[in-house]
Amino acid sequence: MLVILRDGRKLHGVLRSYDQFGECSDAKLQVEFTPVSQANLVLEDTVERIYHENAFAESWRGLYLIRGENVVLLGEIDLDQEDEIPLQQVDWNILEPYHKKEAETKKQREETKSHILYEKKGFCKEGGEGDGY
Amino acid sequence: MLPLSLLNAAQNKPMLVELKNGETFNGHLVNCDNFMNITLREVYQTTADGERFWKLKECYIRGSTIKYLRVPDTLLDAVKEEQNRARDAGRGARGAHVSGGRGGRGAPPRGRRSWRSRWPSTWR
Repeated sequence: MLVILRDGRKLHGVLRSYDQFGECSDAKLQVEFTPVSQANLVLEDTVERIYHENAFAESWRGLYLIRGENVVLLGEIDLDQEDEIPLQQVDWNILEPYHKKEAETKKQREETKSHILYEKKGFCKEGGEGDGY
Repeated sequence: MLPLSLLNAAQNKPMLVELKNGETFNGHLVNCDNFMNITLREVYQTTADGERFWKLKECYIRGSTIKYLRVPDTLLDAVKEEQNRARDAGRGARGAHVSGGRGGRGAPPRGRRSWRSRWPSTWR
């Protein structure tokens, strides 16, 4: 499974279980409370992956319990197809500085963008904080 | 094994908690509830940039501020074993007085399902 978090982290692991907040077995109740789908996840044998151009690196993370609100995307990985993608695996320590720099420029750009939107275009300041994906 | 039951099973185990703002807390789980509110003991708190640390004897974290928790890899196996033991024990006890029965687990009652299928599908 691939999980992308709101802070931009990409985690690969085995989905062991999940729960579902906001959903209940009683059909009538469900109409009254609109389900907010916030599934907490348990990920086993998790690795964090970072990418830069045609390279990626992995770092072992282990067993995760993720709060549902922080999940952006959750998808199954086709391991056979993954082999066909020509990405080169490199050492984490080599790739990490590149990745950090990339994240930093992205953050800076988003900050400038939201600043302009707020100052000149009449957008409000709220929303989008902490979205690094 | 639901996420929150895993958390319950992690009591007294070391864990790493990362908050939504990126701060991390390393400590042993003392207690937790169904909102994921937790208390930790002997905690090392780290800022989001990882540059400053604090040591706390004990701390409380509101569940809604948590991004994720990292728990020991061995926990899942331990819990699975525990569940298996509990299930086997339950089976043994039931088997003793349901002599000659053809397995305790039958199909679920049919009536309920047909009743539910009469609701609009969006309600299910």
